[in-house]
Amino acid sequence: MKLGPIDIAFQLQILPLLLKGALLTIELTVMAIFFGTIIGLIVALMKISRFKMLAAIGGIYTWAIRGIPLLVQLYILYYGLPQLGINLEPMPAAVIGLSICGGAYIAEIFRAGIQSIDRGQMEAALSLGMSYPQAMRRVILPQAYRRLLPPMGNEFITLLKDSSLVSIIAMTELLRQGKLLSNSTFRSMEIFLMVAVIYLILTTVFIYIIDKLEKRFAVADGE
Amino acid sequence: MITAENVYKSFGKLEVLKDVSLNVKQGEVVVIIGPSGSGKSTFLRCLNYLEPIDKGYITVDGQPVGKIKKPDGQLVDDSRKNIYRLRSQIGMVFQRFNLFPHQTALGNVMEGPNTVFNTPCSEAKKRAEELLAKVGLADKADTYPSQLSGGQQQRVAIARALAMQPKAMLFDEPTSALDPELVGEVLSVIKDLARDGMTMVVVTHEMSFAREVADRVVFMDEGKIVEEANPKLIFTNPKHPRTREFLSKIL
Ligand SMILES: Nc1ncnc2c1ncn2[C@@H]1O[C@H](COP(=O)(O)OP(=O)(O)OP(=O)(O)O)[C@@H](O)[C@H]1O
Ligand SMILES: [Mg+2]
Repeated sequence: MKLGPIDIAFQLQILPLLLKGALLTIELTVMAIFFGTIIGLIVALMKISRFKMLAAIGGIYTWAIRGIPLLVQLYILYYGLPQLGINLEPMPAAVIGLSICGGAYIAEIFRAGIQSIDRGQMEAALSLGMSYPQAMRRVILPQAYRRLLPPMGNEFITLLKDSSLVSIIAMTELLRQGKLLSNSTFRSMEIFLMVAVIYLILTTVFIYIIDKLEKRFAVADGE
Repeated sequence: MITAENVYKSFGKLEVLKDVSLNVKQGEVVVIIGPSGSGKSTFLRCLNYLEPIDKGYITVDGQPVGKIKKPDGQLVDDSRKNIYRLRSQIGMVFQRFNLFPHQTALGNVMEGPNTVFNTPCSEAKKRAEELLAKVGLADKADTYPSQLSGGQQQRVAIARALAMQPKAMLFDEPTSALDPELVGEVLSVIKDLARDGMTMVVVTHEMSFAREVADRVVFMDEGKIVEEANPKLIFTNPKHPRTREFLSKIL
């Protein structure tokens, strides 16, 4: 079972190990999306808040996180913090790192989405006597969701791919699993091709799910 | 019902309202006319605190709007809760309707009572259906705003405001965004409201409407009320040269 230099039998043999890594990649991504979205929503609301202090904190957060490479952030979290007596296990460090990073980008997506809603909507809601949080929850966010989905989908896919960076902090996700295998077998091409294909399958499934969600929201909107 | 005393409002360096005072009695219909940029919309938005004012004092049905007067005469910010409650008692209709596009006509009308008053769904629905019937749109209850004509959207917007059972209604050029053939249906709904005794402040360029419905017409120019009179007087014999100039252009 050989395709030129590629040994398919070998590839099938290592598949279970790679899939185990892929599972961890999915886990990491889902957690990063979950926490990143919560962080993102909070930071976005801070950034559009009329309280200058909150807006400033939100602004500094997105500015710093988006300006520093994720890899450097991970080094600080995993290798830097122990010097201050804070030792993070690889898994929490990876989830925290990815969530903080994703949160900054998601915050920008939320902010842009919220601000893209016509000002008249907020005014109409307030003029009915709604409080600001009520207006956000009942009028602004439901309209923003649908516009948010495409850029959020992009960000989720970026997070999925960026999760490969945590391989440097001893997380045996998909990429690191591949690297470990290639260190022991020296068959890098076969292994990393597999890794690439698995990533491609994962991102494709993601895109598919997001697409479905988008259609669902469009129907709920009566359009 | 509505009193505004010596209201001042600036946006940065731009003074938009300069010492505006107005009294609207219970059941009265006041029409505000004036050139673009004269501060009509801003004034209306001050009446329900969508714009906070810089100086002056506004009350609606005896309640202060946004600022409360302390015994020593000092004005302090009112609580958010009071501001929200006050807004719920003043209906507002916008030039561009501002219906909630993600909700049906019925959903739009139910939204206020549901969210603000926690009215039970069945009760809110019943009232909303009555109101849609009142504005002639009983058959459009399940239609989304994007599938309604401008005139229909504006009538839904009026029903939405009425659902809160407001003590007064503010209209900011309710027919300016409409095709001419759709203006009539909206004005006739507003006329019905006037007949029912609703207190209203209406900014409009529809002079025939003003003549027919207004108890008083107020002419604003450059952030000031230049002249106010009953419609017969102001249209036939405006006192102030600015009013005369404006009316000669528009009539
Ligand atoms: N939020 C704002 N920030 C800055 N300037 C504003 C704001 N709202 C209104 N203005 C300015 O205040 C002035 C008065 O505006 P306003 O909308 O009250 O006028 P108007 O009489 O309603 O005019 P129109 O007939 O065109 O609706 C205008 O010069 C406008 O540009
Ligand atoms: Mg205006």
